[in-house]
Amino acid sequence: MSAEDNPFDGVGDTVRGADEWLNTTFGWYAVAKKEFQDALRSKGFWVLAILFTALFIRPVAAELYFSPATNQARSQLGMQLLISRYYLNLVSFLLPIVAIFAGYAAISKEHTSGSIKVLLSLPHSRREVIIGKIVGRCAVVGVPLLISFGLTALFLVVSKLTFKPGMFTMWAALSLLFTLVIVTVAVSISGAVLRNIYSLMASIVFYLEITFVWNLQVNAIAGWLAENLGFAPAVRWQLAFVAKLFNPSQAYKTIVNSQLSQGANGARMARWSMFSQPSDRMETICTGALNGNATVQRSLFGNQTVCQDAGQSLPLWLSDPAVLGYMAAWLVLAGAISYYTFDRYDL
Amino acid sequence: MFHEGLYVVGVKPARMAAIELDGVTKRFGGVTALQSVDLTVEEGEIFGFLGPNGAGKSTCINILLDFVRPTEGSVRVLDKDAYEGSTEIRERTGVLPEGYDVYDRLTGYQHLEFAIESKQADDDPDELLDRVGLSPEEGARKAGGYSKGMAQRLILAMALVDEPDLLILDEPTTGLDPNGARLLRDIVREENERGATVFFSSHILSQVEAVCDTVGILNEGELIAKDSVEELRQTETGDTRLTVTLGGDDAETAREAVSGLDTVTSATADGNRLVVECDDDAKMGVLTAIEDAGITVEDFEAAEPSLEDLFAAYTDADSTEASR
Repeated sequence: MSAEDNPFDGVGDTVRGADEWLNTTFGWYAVAKKEFQDALRSKGFWVLAILFTALFIRPVAAELYFSPATNQARSQLGMQLLISRYYLNLVSFLLPIVAIFAGYAAISKEHTSGSIKVLLSLPHSRREVIIGKIVGRCAVVGVPLLISFGLTALFLVVSKLTFKPGMFTMWAALSLLFTLVIVTVAVSISGAVLRNIYSLMASIVFYLEITFVWNLQVNAIAGWLAENLGFAPAVRWQLAFVAKLFNPSQAYKTIVNSQLSQGANGARMARWSMFSQPSDRMETICTGALNGNATVQRSLFGNQTVCQDAGQSLPLWLSDPAVLGYMAAWLVLAGAISYYTFDRYDL
Repeated sequence: MFHEGLYVVGVKPARMAAIELDGVTKRFGGVTALQSVDLTVEEGEIFGFLGPNGAGKSTCINILLDFVRPTEGSVRVLDKDAYEGSTEIRERTGVLPEGYDVYDRLTGYQHLEFAIESKQADDDPDELLDRVGLSPEEGARKAGGYSKGMAQRLILAMALVDEPDLLILDEPTTGLDPNGARLLRDIVREENERGATVFFSSHILSQVEAVCDTVGILNEGELIAKDSVEELRQTETGDTRLTVTLGGDDAETAREAVSGLDTVTSATADGNRLVVECDDDAKMGVLTAIEDAGITVEDFEAAEPSLEDLFAAYTDADSTEASR
């Protein structure tokens, strides 16, 4: 068969061309590519893809294929419920652990084994090594994650549940971003401490912090500040908001929740539900920080207080784009701190 | 580049230095690894960097590559500052580091492709493998399963990518069998003929002698000598120690017989053994002289001058000069 007959020949050329372009344009590309090739050959990479898929599909399989009680109303609402009740927790609890294991040894292991000497004998600056490692390890977690999102989507399409592609894509993209933030932090710690064991310990502390401790600390600190420095109640809650939103785990959940509700007031309600305080405080949070109006609504489940639109928009720094920005800031901040320390080490 | 008139008549224009260390000191915590080292390696030279393990050779090489930053002093490599211009330096340098590890899951080919991509070169991985004596089958295997010698050949092949202007080889014969060591020497000579400067560190005197033009000797963090290899050989003459086991007990006669030779520095009789210090190439003459005196030689053993002896020779020479 001659070259012209091969329909995939052009594809190969395009891929080669892109590969070459990336390599000549970005100094970190060769490092990232090596990192990814290395992982492709490990079984763990493929185990990840299967594990993710199994976890995402399990509740759907149980509920929607075998439960006879599934009616049309549940099918309609199913997508939101599935994401907010199940996927959100699954992603925020489990994916950081996977991300940490994929990233914590990225640089420290090369330092311990000595392969970093091979790496840095080649013309890579230390900055390029950090960026290449971050990009490479993000791909190592991101690609199996994308594969499992794809398989999950297929599974949902053929289930009894109404598949909402826009919503699913939104959730998948934000989950990917969240995971990549954690990978970046783990790789960055690895470059900053240069010892596997310290890197793992620091990453685990980071995980426990964002998953369990952060919000409690924020509430305690903001409360203490308000009492001792005499902050106005509104200022206290505004501070608490910013501090909470800098937690990538919290940021991820609140953006997804606000996007799921799809209403004009979705973002405000999502932010408001970040707190569970006595009702007088909840009112202050609604009026003082969210520019809203706390009202009691009657519903099937009894009286419910909600934070309604009071004609003023949500402050810009609490909006979804801003929260997205706080998450993205971690990518830059972690990388920069890591570079700053790694660059100063004697290897 | 310069106007001819700038040169003073009779003074040859200096060759550019490939490596220039000026008062380099490196302390790790309280430990001094290098103490005000001044060293110049000319372009096009094969420079042997000799010293026992722990003398500071690797620290010095790590400084050249910006793995480690000096506490004091300035370092220039290929006319660039070792810190500021490190990436540019490494674009033109091939390195065989010491105490490295390969990427276990990547194949030999993938290692070479990584080096080729990193240097944005267009070398042929097969040719590189062939040059260092690895077969294509070995190249297709994961490097995690390589022996030390194979890994050493692979990293050497990576160092040869893109015809570097400078080759830095840190204890390059580690793990190589005699054939590998010979191959390495051939490659060093070929690269040098092509125009590359070679910086070759070793703790084994004979290896450095075999290929190098100039030798620098490092001991306990200090550069104690820098000489051409011929001068080095002269310094070590007289240091070859020949221990001869004689057929009879008449060591005294044998001692008298060899003492007359002008290639012999000293001779000591000890029972049926005679210990002779002589020129390295005078060994046969000594043995012949003993046999001519009617004494049979049962056995003999020649001890190459050790690195320690060489240090002693240089250190003594220094102190003699100083006392003059």
